[in-house]
Parts: sequence; structure tokens; C-alpha cells
Amino acid sequence: MRRVGTVLLCEDSQHEAFVLRFLKRRRLLTDRPRVVKCPSGSAEQFVRKRYPVELKALRKRHAKSALIVVIDGDKEGVQKRRDQLADACRDAGIEDRRADTESVVVLVPTWNIETWLAYLAGESADETRPDYPRLPKESACQGHVEELAAMCEAGKLREPAPASLQDACEEYEGFRAKL
Amino acid sequence: MLTRLYADNYKCLVNFELHFGDATLLLGTNGAGKSSVLDVVYRLKQLLVGGRQVGDPEAFPASTRTRWGHRDVQTIALDVELDGERFEYRLEVEHQGDTGRARVHLESLTTGSGPLFRCSLGDAELFKDDHSEGPRLSVNWTESFLGRLSAGQSNTRLTRFMDFVRRLVICRLHPAGFVPNASQESTLLERNGSNFAAWYRHLMQEHPGQTVEAVSELRTVIDGFRDLRLEKAGSDTRTMLVEFTGDDGDYSLQVDEVSDGKRILLVLYTLLGLAAAQSFTLLIDEPDNFLALPEIQPWLMALSDACGDAGHQAVICSHHPELMDYWGAEKGVLLERTNGGVTTVRTASSLGADDGLRLSERIARGWIESASGDAP
Repeated sequence: MRRVGTVLLCEDSQHEAFVLRFLKRRRLLTDRPRVVKCPSGSAEQFVRKRYPVELKALRKRHAKSALIVVIDGDKEGVQKRRDQLADACRDAGIEDRRADTESVVVLVPTWNIETWLAYLAGESADETRPDYPRLPKESACQGHVEELAAMCEAGKLREPAPASLQDACEEYEGFRAKL
Repeated sequence: MLTRLYADNYKCLVNFELHFGDATLLLGTNGAGKSSVLDVVYRLKQLLVGGRQVGDPEAFPASTRTRWGHRDVQTIALDVELDGERFEYRLEVEHQGDTGRARVHLESLTTGSGPLFRCSLGDAELFKDDHSEGPRLSVNWTESFLGRLSAGQSNTRLTRFMDFVRRLVICRLHPAGFVPNASQESTLLERNGSNFAAWYRHLMQEHPGQTVEAVSELRTVIDGFRDLRLEKAGSDTRTMLVEFTGDDGDYSLQVDEVSDGKRILLVLYTLLGLAAAQSFTLLIDEPDNFLALPEIQPWLMALSDACGDAGHQAVICSHHPELMDYWGAEKGVLLERTNGGVTTVRTASSLGADDGLRLSERIARGWIESASGDAP
């Protein structure tokens, strides 16, 4: 029986495609993770409500399990979203992620994933702008993934980079160190 | 890629139109028309490349007309986009009451820039790639003349459309029917998967690299799976063996001896392996049948990658919550019938609601209508 080691909790298929392709490109995925994404309605709310459930489940599993969370920052931004996730944990009666010991990474593309995609396509992306266009199909992000992977290999993002992507890179490095 | 299907006077499909993306999930209750959509495409393929006459049981017999309509003409149309060019195929089948006799009333293939083929009641007109007039012929009106044309230098566009039709894979897999012996190669997988061994034998000759890839992927999804092998069992016959590594050593089973679910996995992952070799459109009815819960999402993810990366296309019918919740919100199309009437279509964007329930749960409760504010 296949045992899932990594759970990806995200809003939609664009989140899924971008993150999984990036992890695969960086050879950080050894198997297909379980993807939990919003089936309908408010995607951001879905991730917030589901986060404590997945965190609690992770803690029941063995140490090698990992949780990757992707939630758009929208107008709230990275820190406010993280605070909301912490609030959701508190409401559920559990402790928020233990950054030093648990393999939990929280990525908060702001305004949304399209902001990162625009930046990776060479634009100077503005995190306060909500209207970057969606890709025609999710898989079209492969070129953007390659660009990000190249920046990772070079050790730095092109300046000026969206702060939320810079934050995600730090999350990623911490996550990688725990694997 | 198949972009649109139109069907009129075909079972529950009356003036019915459905648009497809690179991945489409058909949802709906039993009898809503999901299988009819796949069925009509299958029958069209049988007519165009399967050598069937129009009134044959596997094509468009009179029994496929809408029962309550009492009309004799059935219309089927496909829009296909190939390398950026749109092809429109149209077929009108005329039945002579309930006599069992049927003929092609009209068959045509056009692109945005002009006609490629037109046949009306046995008078066929061929056009060259530049749409200039070609030969005019009197042809047998009980079959598709388009399907009888051979490839030539002046009809490469028409040939491209027919190649697309040949690469349509339409399945409703039924593992109990799998035959382990293959006396010859089969270029096409039967609708129920029964000739999997013969089809695999063909793939091993034509696309050996892709069978290796499929086997490699199968090792990650079936415990102990080692290889798929065709063993000599007579002068021309090969028997398909599934090889395993167990705690007590290696062993092999004939393909009809492994579990139903494993047989389905063998076909599903072989189809994905094939995707790396040639683009195709896969229409599959309830692929989740016989699969265990943990086996469904990984195949869907692999299929999504194949559809996204290499121009493949998938149309899936399913009642399974795993599929509904993974694909439904973005790729779902709900087919509905009211009081046994005609099939109507609602797209995924109209299925959403902020009630916190999974789509599968809302469908299970019959609460899809609540998206538009209707009381459930």
C-alpha cells in the first residue's frame, strides 16, 4: 500500500502545478504527494479551515511526513495570513507549526500566484496589484518554474523581487534542511 | 484536441452541445447522458475508421434515435483543433423509419478557411488542401466515404483529421473480459480493454520506450510489481504475464489471474506511457471502477501532467468523490436531465458555493442548485 509522505494543501490547480513542478525540478519529491485543494467556493477560507486538521494529522504520522501549505496573500499579505493560520490553530485547540522541528512550509504568494508568475516571466511584479492574468492552462507554468529553479541555483532572486517570494525562498530553504 | 461535440436525436442528446478543455470531467446522476457522450464519439469512430456501415449496431442503428422525438435524421458534429487549425466535421444520418435501413444524408469536413470534403446523398465532392475543387464521385451512401479515402499529397489536412480520429481512445474498462493470450498484435485497444495483451504486444514493437516507462511507473503504484512480459505460448501466440517480487521470492501470474484493480492499473498507466509517444484524446468511462482509494489521485495527477505538457486530452465520466473533488471545481461539467427529458449542461463555474462542503458531498445531497440561490 502506497503511504503518502507529503501533503500539499492549496487553493487550486495553479498552486498545485507550480509547487509540485518546482519541487520535482529541485528533486525534492520522491513520490506523488497527496493534494488537498479547494473543491469549490472560497479557496482561501478552505485552506485556513483545513490547516489545523492537516497539522494535527501530520503530528500523528512519523517524523518524515511533511505538509506544504499554499495560500494567496491577497490584500492581507504574508504576515496577516500566517497570523490567520495561527488563529485557526488556536481555535482548533492545537499549537501552530513548530518551525524548528516540524516539516511544515507555508507559502503565501501575494497578491496571488499570478504575481509570482508575472515576476518570473520578467515583469517587475507589484504585490498590491490583483489583476495579473491567469495562465491559459496550469501546466504553462513550467517555464516559470525553470526560471525560479535557475535563480535558486544562482542563490538569489532577480531584484526587485516580490517580498512574498523572497519569504517563500526562506521557507523553502528551511524545509529543505529538514528533509 | 476535441473542442466541441454537437448531437441531435441521439438517445437523450437533443440539440446538445458540449465544449471540452484539455481535461474535462463529466458529472451527473445515472442516466444523465455522460456515457451517451462517450458512446456517440465511439460510434463515430467506428463509422469513420472502423469500417462500419452507418446502420450497423456499432455505428448508428435506428435504436440510437431519441425515442420520443420520432424524427428520422440524426446529426452529429465534432469540432477539432489541430496545430492551431479548427476542423468542423458534420454527419447527418437518415433512417428510413424502423426498417433498419439508414444512409448518410450529409457528411462534411471544413476548416475555417474552406471545405475539405462534402458528401450529400451519395454525391461526394473532394477539395484539395488549398480548398480548390477536386474530383466528384458517386459513392455508397450506407458508409462514410471520408473513412474510405486514402492519404495523398493533396489532402494532408483531411488526413490529419482522420489521424486524430484514429487516435481517439474510448474506454469503459471491464477487467473480467481481459484475454491473456495474444495471437497477433492489435493497433487499437478495445473499448473494454479485453485485448490489452494484444495491444501491449503492438506497443512493445512500435513504442518500446513507452512500455518501459509505463512499467517503471507501475512499480511505484503496485506493491511488488516487477514487470509485464509476453511469453511464447505457441507458434504465434504470446501470453501476458505479470511478474512480482514477494517476500518469498519472485513469481508471475497471467494477466487474468491478477486482481481486477491491478488489471485496470496496468491499462491506465500503459495509456499514460503511450502519451509520451503520441498525442491522443482519451475518453474514459469510470476509470475509478475497481481501483482502491489511494490509487485514484496519483493516476489523475499523472494524467493532468500528460494533458498539460504534451497536448493530450482527457474526458472522464465518473461518480467517484475523489475525481469530483480533485477535478470537479475547475474541470467539471454537470450533465442533467429533468423528468427523463433531454440532457442539459452546466459548467464547473456554476457549481461553486461557499457552504464549506466538498463538491462530492453537495452532489450527494443534490444541493448543486444552491449555487444559484435555489432552495435545495
